[in-house]
Amino acid sequence: MSAATLDRSAASRFWRRWRFHLSALVVLVPIALTPLYFRQLALENGTAGLGAREIGERKVGPWSVRLAEFDLLPPQVQGPAGPVKQFTLALAGAGVTEVRAAYLKIGKPRSLRAAGSIFFGSPYRQTAGLPIPERTSPDAEVWLTLEGWDGSMQTQALPLAEASPVAADWLRSRNGGKP
Amino acid sequence: MAKKGGSSARIWFLVHSWLALPIWAFVFFVCLTGTIATVSQEIVWLANPAVRANPPSADATPLGYDAALAAVERQRPGAIPLQIVRSVKSQYALQIDVAQPDGATATLFVNPFTGEIQGQQGAFDFQQFTRALHGWLLTPFTSGFAIGWYVVSAMSIPLLGSLITGVVVYKKFWRAYLNPRLRISKGSRIFWGDLHRLVGIWSIPFIAIISVTAGWFLIQAILFDNAISISTVGAPPIVAREHAPTLKAGETPPKPSVDRAVAAAKERFPDLEPGLIELPQNAFNHVMIWGRGGYPLIFEQAAVNPYTYDVEWTRRVSDRSALELVTESMRPLHVGDFVGLSLKLVYFLFGAMLTAMSLSGMMVWTRRTAQATVAVARGRPVPAPFPEPAE
Repeated sequence: MSAATLDRSAASRFWRRWRFHLSALVVLVPIALTPLYFRQLALENGTAGLGAREIGERKVGPWSVRLAEFDLLPPQVQGPAGPVKQFTLALAGAGVTEVRAAYLKIGKPRSLRAAGSIFFGSPYRQTAGLPIPERTSPDAEVWLTLEGWDGSMQTQALPLAEASPVAADWLRSRNGGKP
Repeated sequence: MAKKGGSSARIWFLVHSWLALPIWAFVFFVCLTGTIATVSQEIVWLANPAVRANPPSADATPLGYDAALAAVERQRPGAIPLQIVRSVKSQYALQIDVAQPDGATATLFVNPFTGEIQGQQGAFDFQQFTRALHGWLLTPFTSGFAIGWYVVSAMSIPLLGSLITGVVVYKKFWRAYLNPRLRISKGSRIFWGDLHRLVGIWSIPFIAIISVTAGWFLIQAILFDNAISISTVGAPPIVAREHAPTLKAGETPPKPSVDRAVAAAKERFPDLEPGLIELPQNAFNHVMIWGRGGYPLIFEQAAVNPYTYDVEWTRRVSDRSALELVTESMRPLHVGDFVGLSLKLVYFLFGAMLTAMSLSGMMVWTRRTAQATVAVARGRPVPAPFPEPAE
């Protein structure tokens, strides 16, 4: 008997004996994913920082904020809002008690009532979903609006490519670079 | 076994065997983790004294929500409360989620009588981990439902199939309710077969509940990922802009009184038992009170204006469509968390029995079905699959 036949019969014996127990190997999936699971949790509860990628500190009127991309994914379709990109924001210093709401919008807002998606959370870390329709120009600007408890309104623009390079790339690949 | 229709019974039996056999170990894993998940909260209670609600004296009365939040603020200066969870089981401490100045969210276990922070949820949340392991194998929810969610909930199909084919092949199974049989000394095939049948007939309602509700989880994911909505909820409520006060420099923003909000909600729904209270997430957000009313499976909701304390939006059991009543009852039916410890223990017991079903089924198979399959394939007569106790 040659070595090859021996091997084949050993393999086939193994297969016949274990084939119906092989689904036990599914437990390798959660074992392999455990580190990712805890990384994701840390991102969600803020122990891993503001988001997956910090955009940096910005002055908006008298206030100072930190802005981050929550994750590094391209905009995700979420129901009727279409593709949405999550951003996180942290107020610093006096802004913690002086700012009553923050908003994010593609393009310049005309008024507070049209300031865009409102942030939800705490002054220390709040999240907003910014709708990014597929026809948006990759060179568009993201406008951050802060509304004070005194009724004042402050805005600050930054290029979408700076706010979210992955969203800008996604738009370029979607509309072939045409605005 | 009836002589007539013996061949179709044989086919049913083979279908019954083959439905779960190739995946029995995975089904066993899902049943086992699910069984642990039903009592994961109780396991945490046993393991971690910080989650318990020990009254300081026999006549101690629980604090109001505002007093509890004030106590938390004294112990954690700068922390901002996000939500309060009060378990249906009075043995559990309040769980208060707070945002901390460093940006991290912490879940605090707060004594409902003294307001003392007894502990804090660490990075490893056993309850959440067990659920994630059971429900989606820890696979990530990056775009839509996790792939593991689909894989696990698809097990509802072989599970329901096993139940139906099992009832079909086990002729006159109801006789075994009065004459249970579990032979221990007649060899392992007899033992595992008896166990499989005995546990099986007593688990029929439980397996039906678990497989149907799990089937809903599969449908739910398919509907969501294809942007199909059956919801009648409508747009979330927003606090009118003019209600948020305009402050002068140096004035501190108003803090909503949870006691007043709960009182307003209770005035509207006297039988509402708050289980979850979400504090406003921005200046134009309501205090959202979730609680059980007359129908324990579904949480009712009341959105209370944090400035005027008017109940501005509600969602009650009666606001739901018949379809929503059914689908929203699926999750509590699957996990059994809507009564208290007694039901959890019932779910645990039946979960353990279902776990044993997948193991005993495999044991029976390795001792019989292989020969039966070969025999059918070769057209040879086969011993009846369930000779006892039907005849």
